[in-house]
Amino acid sequence: MQNAQLIKQGAEAKVYLAPFCGRQTIIKERFAKAYRHPTLDKKLTSRRVIQEARCLNRCQKALIDTPTVYMVDVENSLIYMEYIQGISVRDYLVTEEGSTTETQQRVAAEIGKALGLMHNIDVIHGDLTTSNLLLRQNSFDPDADSDATATAATVAATTGPAGYESLVLIDFGLSYVSQLIEDKAVDLYVLERAFTSTHPNTEVMFTQILEAYSQSCKTSKQILKKLEDVRLRGRKRSMLG
Amino acid sequence: MESYPLEAVPGTGEVHMACFTSVKNAPELKERLQAQDKTLTFAMVESNLIMDVFQLLTAATKAAKDHEAGKLSTQSLSSEIIYNLSPTRNIAESLKRFGINEDTTSLIAVKIGGNPDEVLEDMSKTVDGILISFSKLDQEKDMVRLRQYYKIDPKVTEHKDILNWIIGAMAMKNIQ
Repeated sequence: MQNAQLIKQGAEAKVYLAPFCGRQTIIKERFAKAYRHPTLDKKLTSRRVIQEARCLNRCQKALIDTPTVYMVDVENSLIYMEYIQGISVRDYLVTEEGSTTETQQRVAAEIGKALGLMHNIDVIHGDLTTSNLLLRQNSFDPDADSDATATAATVAATTGPAGYESLVLIDFGLSYVSQLIEDKAVDLYVLERAFTSTHPNTEVMFTQILEAYSQSCKTSKQILKKLEDVRLRGRKRSMLG
Repeated sequence: MESYPLEAVPGTGEVHMACFTSVKNAPELKERLQAQDKTLTFAMVESNLIMDVFQLLTAATKAAKDHEAGKLSTQSLSSEIIYNLSPTRNIAESLKRFGINEDTTSLIAVKIGGNPDEVLEDMSKTVDGILISFSKLDQEKDMVRLRQYYKIDPKVTEHKDILNWIIGAMAMKNIQ
C-alpha cells in the first residue's frame, strides 16, 4: 500500500490511513494467521471480509450512519472505507463538555436510536464498545481535506468535541446477521459491560440509551426482558441447562 | 482534461478524463465500440450518470486492479471501467446504461495510463464535441435514472449521501 500509515492494530486486522482516489481513506487489512492451516485461513479471512462489508452496506441502506464501503479487495483481504473525522464516545465522555449531564443525555439518545435501527435490520454488531462509537465532526467535507499530510495525531489534536453531526457505528469486524432476541440482548449486554468498566458512574447514561433504544427498536420489549436474563448469567449461555 | 493518480494500484499510470458536450458523432462511436475497434483506446461514459469524479476514480481503480490481476469481467480495460460503475453484474445492461448510446450528446472519455498530451489529442480527434471542464458536470445529472439504477432511498437527498450510496452499491456488486 502506497503512503499508508498504520493507525491501529488489533488481533484480527491492521487499520491504515491512506490516500485513495483523492480522499483520505481507511484501509482495513485482515492479515493471515500463521497458526491456522493456510487453506482454512484463506477461506475464513475472505468470508469475514465479505461479511463485514455486507453488514456495513446493510446499515448504510437502512440509513444508519456507518462508514461507506469504497472498495473490497477480497484477494488481499482489504476493505477500503470512508474515513470519519471525529472523536470516539470513549474519548468524548472524559472531556469537559462530554462529562456534563446534558451532553451525555444527547449522546445516549443517539446511541440508543442507532442501535435500535441496527437491530431492526437484524444486524448484530458483536463488539459494541465506546471506542466503536464515533461522533462525526460537523460538516466535514472529504474533498476539502484531501491532502495526505493530515496524520491521525493532528486529527485528534484539532478535533474538538464541540459540534458533532451524528453518531457513527464503526468496526463491523465481528458483525453478523441474526434475528434472535438472544443475540440482540447479548449485543446490548456487551455494551453495558463496556460502559460500566470504562466509564464509572454512567449507569444513568446507559439507562437513557435503553430508553432511546426501546423507541426505535421494534422488538425492544422482548430484547430488554432477555437482557435481564443475560445480566444474571453473563454473555455465554450456561452449559448446565 | 484532468489527470489523477490511482493510489491503490501503484503499478499503473494516472487516469485521464475529459468531458465533452455537444457530441455529434455518437452513432459512429457506438458502432466502432460494437465492432470492437481496437483503435478506440479509451472508455466513453454517459456523463449525466456521473455524480462525482470520485465515482469514476473508484471504478477506474477497480478496473486497473482487476486488469493487473488478470481478472477482468469484460473484454477490455475500457469496458471494465464502465461495467464497474454499475451496481449489477449484468454486463450488457451495465454497458448500455453507463456507456454511450446513439443519442448521447455529452460523455466523459476515460483512459488509464499514457502520456497526457497524446491521450488528449487522441480523445479530441475521436470525439466530435466541445471539451469542457469538470466543474460543469453539476448541471447535467440525470437524477431520475441515477435513483432508479442505484435504487437510492428517496429519503437520501444530500449530494454527499447520494454519492456514498452510489459508491457503496458499486463496491458491493461482486460480493452481494
